[in-house]
Formats: sequence, C-alpha cells, structure tokens
Amino acid sequence: MWKRDEAVKPGVPTDGPRVETPRSSGSDMVNTGSVGTIGKSVVIKGELSASEDLTIEGQVEGKVELKQNILTIGANGRIKASVFAKAVIVQGEVHGNITATEKVDIRDAGSVDGDLAAPRVAIADGAHFRGSIDMQAGAGKPADSKASGDAARPVVAESAKPGASTAAPATGMASAPAAAVPSHTPSR
Amino acid sequence: MLKWGSRRADLPQAAPPAPPAPADAIVTSKVFPHFLAAVAHQAAPTLLDLGPVVGSNVSFFGERLACKLHVEDLYSDVEAHARRGERAALAGFFATRLRQAPDSIDGILCWDLFDFLDRQAGLVLAARLAGMLRKGGALYGSFGTTAVELKQYTKTVVVAAESLRHRMSPATPVMRTVLLTRDIIKMFDGLIVAESVLLKSSTRETLFRRP
Repeated sequence: MWKRDEAVKPGVPTDGPRVETPRSSGSDMVNTGSVGTIGKSVVIKGELSASEDLTIEGQVEGKVELKQNILTIGANGRIKASVFAKAVIVQGEVHGNITATEKVDIRDAGSVDGDLAAPRVAIADGAHFRGSIDMQAGAGKPADSKASGDAARPVVAESAKPGASTAAPATGMASAPAAAVPSHTPSR
Repeated sequence: MLKWGSRRADLPQAAPPAPPAPADAIVTSKVFPHFLAAVAHQAAPTLLDLGPVVGSNVSFFGERLACKLHVEDLYSDVEAHARRGERAALAGFFATRLRQAPDSIDGILCWDLFDFLDRQAGLVLAARLAGMLRKGGALYGSFGTTAVELKQYTKTVVVAAESLRHRMSPATPVMRTVLLTRDIIKMFDGLIVAESVLLKSSTRETLFRRP
C-alpha cells in the first residue's frame, strides 16, 4: 500500500542531492540570443574575435577582440591575453592588457595583472589589480591597439569533451583558419 | 502560586551586542590639495600610487586629472617580506621592484609607506622614486613622528581634495621608523620640500617637488 517499489517518475523533484550531467549536445560554446558563452571546459589558444557580446568561463590565451561588444570574463574565466572590447567586465582572472573604448569594470572577485586603457574604469573593493590605468583622452581608442597581443596564433578551440564541436559558426566567435589543427589539451 | 518570570534566569542570555565597528577615520589634509594642484598643472599627467588599488581613488584621479595611473602596491610586498621574516631584504628588493623609467612620473603617492621601512630600505626606495619624477613633479608622503608599534596598514581613500578616509587593515607588527625632518629631506635627495605640515595626529605630511 505504500508503493515502496514504485520507481520515481521522471520530472518529479526529489529531496536528495541533484547531480547535473553534461548536456548530450557536447558543445561548450552556446549562443543564447546575442550573447555567446565559452564554457568552463573550453581552452582557446590564439586569436578570438566576435561581433556579439561574449561571456568567457573557460581559458583563453592569445588575443580577444570584440570591438563593438561587451566582453564578460566570468568567475571561472582565466585569460592570458590582450583584450580589446567596447566594455569589459572582469569577474575572473586576467593576465594581460585590457583596452576598452567605453569601460572596464573589475568586480570584487576579479583579478587583473596588466594595464588598462579605457575612458572609464571601475574597480570594486576586494578586487585585485596590478598594473597601470590609462584614462587619458583617447585611451581605449583603436589606435591604442598597437600594443596588441604577442601570441596571435591561429585559433585552436579546445574542449575537454571528446568529440565536442568547437567554435560554432553561427556565433561568429572565432575566425579559425581551416588549416588550424585542434590539439586537445586536458582542462579542468 | 505562579511566579512570573521565575524561569527567566534559566534562559540563555542573549549575546551582548557586538561593539560597533570603528568608523573609518576621515582626516583633513592640508598638503594633499597642493599635490593635486601640482599634478593637475601637468598636461596628461602620470601618477604612481604605492598603495593598494582603491576603486574610488581611480575614479577620482581619472575624473580630476584625466591621468595615467600606475598602481604598485608596495604595502603587500612589505607584508609578504614581514611574514617571511625578511624585512632586511627589502632594500635589495626595492632596488629592482619598480619598472617605471626615470623622469617618467608627474606625481607619486607614498602615503605612510616609509613608516614601515627600515632606514636602508627607505633610502633605496626614496632614491628610486626621486629619480622617476619628472621636472616639476610632486611626491606626497606622510611620516609618523612617534616611535610606536604599528599593527595596521592604512588604506587611504580620497574623499575630496582635502579629505582622506583611512581604512585600517591588519599588519605584521613592526616598530615605526621615526625619521627626523632633516633625514627625510636627505633621503629624497634631488627634491625640494614644497610643504610640510605636522598634523594633530603627530604625522607630518610632506610634499616634495622636483625643481
């Protein structure tokens, strides 16, 4: 009468711990509306450019360029790159110079080791910053991009998931040459 | 017979209210406005801040001076050395720590950093800073005049040109290095004292200029 053996119906919430499983699609790059996201397990080495807003939760080494858009480096994001964008929000870690035509915003858990160039800079209490800040007239203009990246190699978008698709063309994420050979690097 | 409140003594006592956190002290500075004026006089000035990064200071300097600001948190270096018991190595460390080129800086904010340095480290750092200043550049610092044990660092938040808020953070205790005014002047060889004011807090605010 208590139906002890009755299987839990799918979709019925249980009180036990919930385990989230990876999505079967296997892609860590998703396009939700006009904001692209690079997932935690993605490692990109090379040049990353986009014409839409982008959130990075993974690792990027090289150069990131979103001239007309907002770049958000999420709490899990780890960037070793020169960054160029309209506005940059840092919640994770950045090692490299950031140039923004509008604003750089380092949130309380954010960390930047590098130089900032932007007309407006906001640094929250508790944020880590080491470098210089250039807010002079003209700071963050495209002409400043002469100090761009040192490692502008072809894009190699890597995913820890075997068989995972890389940059989705629909997102306009990366201009990867067809010859670029992805080399899988284990990530976190 | 009922005894109202008879069990009250058995009830757990409410914890006494925590003492209010000490409010950040706001001090009036007579010298800092002159530092700002000196730097504002330069076209597209470059500042060097030796304290920890403070977001509101960045905004203040950006709006007020439209400057380029270098943040080099030497307090964290001092604390790291103190924790390792290597304060004596600070002099050698400061010889190479700052990467700014000579004659490249218009304004330097030392705050009270020299209170935490021994004489040798202070000499080395002061010589490096004096060499970085451009002609007409200004250096702001405050120097304690009482030999007490320092247990806190002061993070200075610029509220307005003449108002500075001091926020304290714990430090590895060290006896303050008290420098005589003439020692301070000698230490910054090549600079001249433009202003020196002894505050009620027994702190001497000093503004140096490079002639």
